[in-house]
Amino acid sequence: MSVEFPSTPRRQASFDPTTPASTRPTGVISSPHYTTTRRHSLYGTEDRIVIDPGSHIWKVGFSGEGRPRDVFFVDGLDKRPLWSLTGLDEVAGRGEEDTVLYLRLKDHLRRVFHSSLMADPRARKVIIVEHPLLPLRVKETLARALFTNLQAPSISFASSSLLSLLAVGRVTGLVLDCGHLESTALPIFSSRPLYTHLKTTPLAGARFNAHIKALLLQFASYIPPLPNLGSSVSIPTADRITRVPEELLTDAVVEEIKTRCCFASNPIDLTQEPPSNAESTATMMVPDSDSIMSDAEQESTTPVTMSRTSNVTPSQPEATSRQSAAEAYSNVIEEIYKPRSTATDVKMTVSALSPAAMAQPQSVPGMGTLIIPGWIRERAAELFFEGGDIDELSIAEVILHSLLKVPIDLRGQLASSILIVGGTAMLPGFITRLRKQLLLALEKPTRPPGTSPSKRFYDPFATLRPMKSVLSIVNDPNHGAPASATTAHNAGRAPAYSPAALPWVGGSLTGSLKIGGQDMSREKWDQAEANANTETDIGESSQTDPSTSVRSQRHMVMPDWTHKYVPWGHGPPPANTHGLLTVPT
Amino acid sequence: MLNRMHDEGHNTTAVVISWTLCLRSLCTRQKQAKSREFVKKERSGLRQMACSVLFHCPCLNPPTDPPPPPSQASSSTSNHPLHTLFFCEECDAIRCDRCVSVEVSAYHCPNCLFEVPSASVRAEKNRCTNTLSVVPSDPPGLTWDTQSSSISLGAINEPPFLLFCNFCRWDSSELGIKFDKPTGLAAQLQRHEDSAPEMLEFERLKEHFATYLRAQQSSSATSQQSQPHHRSHHTSLTVATAAASSALARDIPGVSKHRRKDKDRGAGIDKEELPIYKSRIESASLGTLGLGADEEDVEFLKKLDTENGIEDVARLEQRWTGSWQGSIHSRDLRPLRMPLHSKKSKRCPVCRHILIKPEQKTQSVRYKIKLVAANYLPSIVPLFPSLTPQGLTAAQKKALSTKGSTMSVDEGIDHPLVSMHAGRTYPFQLAFTNPLYDPIHVKLSVQRQSLPSTSSSGTTDSGSTKKVPPNFAINLPTSSFPISAYAEAWEYEDEDEEEMLLDDEALAIGGSGISSSNNTGSRKGKGGSSSANIGVIERKANVTVVGGEVVVGKEGRGDVKFNMMVSYTYRSDEPSQTTSIKGEGKTRTAASEMKTFSFWVVVHLGGIIVRDREKDRDRERGSEENPREG
Repeated sequence: MSVEFPSTPRRQASFDPTTPASTRPTGVISSPHYTTTRRHSLYGTEDRIVIDPGSHIWKVGFSGEGRPRDVFFVDGLDKRPLWSLTGLDEVAGRGEEDTVLYLRLKDHLRRVFHSSLMADPRARKVIIVEHPLLPLRVKETLARALFTNLQAPSISFASSSLLSLLAVGRVTGLVLDCGHLESTALPIFSSRPLYTHLKTTPLAGARFNAHIKALLLQFASYIPPLPNLGSSVSIPTADRITRVPEELLTDAVVEEIKTRCCFASNPIDLTQEPPSNAESTATMMVPDSDSIMSDAEQESTTPVTMSRTSNVTPSQPEATSRQSAAEAYSNVIEEIYKPRSTATDVKMTVSALSPAAMAQPQSVPGMGTLIIPGWIRERAAELFFEGGDIDELSIAEVILHSLLKVPIDLRGQLASSILIVGGTAMLPGFITRLRKQLLLALEKPTRPPGTSPSKRFYDPFATLRPMKSVLSIVNDPNHGAPASATTAHNAGRAPAYSPAALPWVGGSLTGSLKIGGQDMSREKWDQAEANANTETDIGESSQTDPSTSVRSQRHMVMPDWTHKYVPWGHGPPPANTHGLLTVPT
Repeated sequence: MLNRMHDEGHNTTAVVISWTLCLRSLCTRQKQAKSREFVKKERSGLRQMACSVLFHCPCLNPPTDPPPPPSQASSSTSNHPLHTLFFCEECDAIRCDRCVSVEVSAYHCPNCLFEVPSASVRAEKNRCTNTLSVVPSDPPGLTWDTQSSSISLGAINEPPFLLFCNFCRWDSSELGIKFDKPTGLAAQLQRHEDSAPEMLEFERLKEHFATYLRAQQSSSATSQQSQPHHRSHHTSLTVATAAASSALARDIPGVSKHRRKDKDRGAGIDKEELPIYKSRIESASLGTLGLGADEEDVEFLKKLDTENGIEDVARLEQRWTGSWQGSIHSRDLRPLRMPLHSKKSKRCPVCRHILIKPEQKTQSVRYKIKLVAANYLPSIVPLFPSLTPQGLTAAQKKALSTKGSTMSVDEGIDHPLVSMHAGRTYPFQLAFTNPLYDPIHVKLSVQRQSLPSTSSSGTTDSGSTKKVPPNFAINLPTSSFPISAYAEAWEYEDEDEEEMLLDDEALAIGGSGISSSNNTGSRKGKGGSSSANIGVIERKANVTVVGGEVVVGKEGRGDVKFNMMVSYTYRSDEPSQTTSIKGEGKTRTAASEMKTFSFWVVVHLGGIIVRDREKDRDRERGSEENPREG
């Protein structure tokens, strides 16, 4: 292939990888007449299937429609998320873990095709909405399940952040995706994701659930159901109030509390007195021992990670054990938040066994009442906005750090078109609060008292301060008075799609416009599988080094940004057993 | 309008649309459903505790390999109750619900049972045009029949019509839903859906990008005209196509870079070419329209009523299919059309032969083709004589002696899981039922306890890879034993009928050849295990009960759960005589005489009680359990 003539051969060559071996040409080639083909395709197979597979929630539907057909929780073997941030460390269990992942993904995909959409998987191309940090292992497993079990004709992966941006009619912007496992900020310029400037934090839905659960265990109260109607009517309700038993707070209950009564409120100004009568500025920093003692009778807290030290730390030298430290931390939180919250307490009924009925296995559950303190509803979301540390940035810091990494020429444009997507961003008040938090972070920092004026202090966002006037969130539901013309042009100008649905809507849009990413056909997959198998066989028999060839085959099959700019030999190890067996020593 | 509706409703009850469920009563219904679900879960938890035999489908691992040890998590998904499995005659293999390929053969509405032609399914978005359901979502685990509602109409009055709930006096004018005519409400509602803001916005977005792409297409076409060699051998259409795709490709990450360079040499940077999108409804403008802006939601949530306020907030499952920034109030929930169900036929993933195919008619519950594994494989039911001292109860005997017994046995009779004490020996029985019209010989072999590193107690937290003795050993007869053929007549005969041995010469091998020695049993070696427990216990009709023993190790813990390979040999007669076996197959027609089919099952007998708690349990139980000591 040493053709040196200008561009026609190059064009051909560049198209080769995207051309599948199937009889039908891909959508990109076949369709300048998208408007007409779309109309024809109403009953045909042109419409693709768009799947937004999350670790916690899936959204599925047909392309060309404005909303997903079905949304469902991942509900697998043991109701764990499909994948998590922590993989298995030891190699021994990995094969089994992969098998389980495959089985669960396969079940979910079968459900999508057979009961949600009732479509023939062999007739329709599939668009997978891909989170930028979706593990390659999951991608491969998804592809394997789709190709081998369901025999889909072709798959294309599309970056969720880019799709979200398309769904608001833009190709440039900074997309913050606040999902279940992690929150990720990814700048995109001219429809090209700048993956190297990506920033991420584990502060997301899963952590939020754990936080709510820990707070509820410590501060909420619970009225168990009466043992039976006849016996103990005489006991007044006040006497029956107990702490919340841990087994009551199942994932489903916590999820319901999160989605039905939590919200994000205004930032707390610690320098001001709380508005209510509680005048405890002194105890704000150091919790008094009484409150700790009063709460110390509780037997257990979940081992939730309270290790994040915010600007307020419990300065308790005697709090040696981790558990009591966590409790003390929660107490500090309560000290701060409770007087500054105005939300009402809310009662919620949960089906539960009464304490007496607990002993008998066959009794029917009654309705217990959970009393959720208002300040938890209002301030649990502070988790996202408190100052983070170097490992776990707060949501606002993730955005700002990502902006810091972006080339300086693009900063203004990206800062003026921030897009917030993801299920956790559906929390009422989230985006408003985030905007306030971003602006707060870009305030001229107040010098900590006691430091000399000559001394420099850490101010990470100094270079971003000029961005303050243009900073705007495009799907901000209520921006205030625009600070500048740029803000007026951008803030809140996006169509009012809900943040959680934006990636899916974008996928649907690209599907109907036929501008999806690189198609991967089943023929290619099968071929690569066969090649990989033979390569492995040869490698095993002749003791050559087969890893590079196998791996390059894999990489050719599975497009992924993580190994696009890296030489083949130095990419991340492929997450399959073949690869594991052949990793060079 | 509203008053008139109400008045007429009160006087004549003719115009009132009786709606079995409405949004208000929904909350209580959901609560009930939830608690019912809770109970179901509890019960199913108990059911899981019953001892069971699950059949292995070899779709995950190649059939030559043994299945994974039952302690592994992946094992539970590849073992199924017999009645859920299919059997492909062409491939001579078991197929499960997770590997068959599924085709929709007919769509219907579960409520009105109307069959919907597949052509209109797409346009109507998989939902019924006749029936409305109230719940805007289908939370997993909740069944539709608790939440669905049908709408029956009375006499026809003049338009507009409203939905009206007799129970709580809700009517659809609160949502602004009015109907022109009292029939086909769902179809009218679909018109609402099609003009929903997200749909209109979506069309607008599509137009936005389409214009942009068209512009790029034409610009690159002109640029190509300046470089004529580009199009020397293309037709104009392919130029347009190539131009379009090159323009489109500029939006795609991961396409070759030189094309981008081409463009960058030209006039434009992208941001100038893509015009600013003007939204139809901007997210910031929602608040002023009063459609539920963020601040309003926050204020609403802040002042949520303490007693019952949470019910004013819609559940996530009711909101999440809407891709528009909607209201969080449950009073704004809209009735949805009933999602369609489908009848599915299933094919073998390998040879594509149909395994099961329902009749087309919605009301029919029969199948045109049905190749279920229960008709091919002997069913196996575990029994504990210590629990039912007289052997089989009457009901069990009845159930076992019929052909289609597996389902009733699996579901009807729950054997509670046996708790075993470490260091003892327990007898158990396996009842095999032959569904074939030929007598078969069955041979059992228990998979050895797996290697120490992945020992059967793999889930325990010990985690060390040092030698762990197996938790238990299973003694089962090693030689083959016969099961008589199935005959229709046995269904009608009395249970106390004489034991009926066929005069088939193949059965002469009979129960005599049963030995008590065993590969795993020899490990224990102490002669205490009574050989009386091992071997054929009972033969009756097409049922053979085989006895075995489980020897629980001194340090045993965890579940007594093991893989067992079942091989059965049957004599296939001439192909013309056999009804069930077709001509194709590996050695079927050629060899003609004896065929062997092997499959794996997982037998779950019970749990082992850990040593230190044993005494307490003993005291509690007293003589209730009375295991036969070895």
